[in-house]
Amino acid sequence: MWDKVHTRALFVRYRENNDDESRDELITMYLNLVKYLASRFRNRGEPIDDLIQVGTIGLIKAIDRFDIGREVEFTTYATPTIVGELKRHFRDKGWAIKVPRRLQELSFRVNQAMDALTQKLQRSPSILEIAEYLEVTSEDVLEAMETSEAYNFVSLESDRNSDGADSFSILEYIGADDQLLSVVDDRATLALALRYLSPQEQHVLYLRFFRGLTQTEIATQLDISQMQVSRLLRKTLRVLREHLVAGEV
Amino acid sequence: MLSDRVTLTVPARAEFAKTVRMTVSELASRLGMSYDNVDDMRIAADEAFVYVCGRANDDEVVFQADLKPDALTLQVGPFSVDIMQDQDEDAVDRYAMFILDSVCDSFTLEHEDERTTLTLVKYQGDGCA
Repeated sequence: MWDKVHTRALFVRYRENNDDESRDELITMYLNLVKYLASRFRNRGEPIDDLIQVGTIGLIKAIDRFDIGREVEFTTYATPTIVGELKRHFRDKGWAIKVPRRLQELSFRVNQAMDALTQKLQRSPSILEIAEYLEVTSEDVLEAMETSEAYNFVSLESDRNSDGADSFSILEYIGADDQLLSVVDDRATLALALRYLSPQEQHVLYLRFFRGLTQTEIATQLDISQMQVSRLLRKTLRVLREHLVAGEV
Repeated sequence: MLSDRVTLTVPARAEFAKTVRMTVSELASRLGMSYDNVDDMRIAADEAFVYVCGRANDDEVVFQADLKPDALTLQVGPFSVDIMQDQDEDAVDRYAMFILDSVCDSFTLEHEDERTTLTLVKYQGDGCA
């Protein structure tokens, strides 16, 4: 859909000459991307034209900041910036979906129960065990689980916790309209996001995705339990999702 | 119980992701899976569903969950995707595997007659009630 060779030529010219023409052509070329991403937010009561305007601001930022020396396609780079701008727009308007207090508190208590029971049982507790410990129902615990991402990760809360809003899958972000994603691109983006993780988290991610080790093999290598590996992986993925979608990478 | 099957058909719209998440997490919970494993399955189902919504030409997405004492198998589809060049499809599939592989014990993508099926499996995992 987007001519990568032409894009590159435009960026080179723009960086050298800082001319409006190259920049405007880049904006025009990638307006479709803005429209596509803006449409992901269409269920929130804002006119689509306003959303496209906001998204275009993100596109312009991405065009100004894009480093052509990096081996990353522009769409891969621009998408989080555009999405980030759209999310900021809603947050600034105070439209972020608020999690009911009851669920916030329950989510907090579930986390506490997890810690206490894991310590006591030396394994990951079941939903029922957590429910009994807290004297709530299993459904309550599942509901808290549903809430917890929104509760912990501000940038995803509008997507994950609203009853009518679109979810934004990282798969779609990665796959949509960027037809020639290569493994190198994936790794470049991933490498950038890695700086948000602790050394141990980075190491686990590296072993899993770059060396292809199973969770059990990683556990053996790091001398921790498979459960700990699983938890670390899930947490790192959450952190990555948050940062990639929030436009910080 | 040797094996139970639960089938869920939802409109292929991202707003139904919560329905998918809640159903799958309840099924995993009913098998007695640990909190972590339930959450893994929840994330996997959610990612798979929104991915299909974005790519598929179908109006509905079918989930088929097979509940066994030691594992939950979730089959998504079959669904039709836009025809892409093989090279692109490989790249996207590789990345899809990259994400889902981390939360599932097994994740496969099968193509037959231009229809695709995702199958996610989660085992009970180490030490659970």
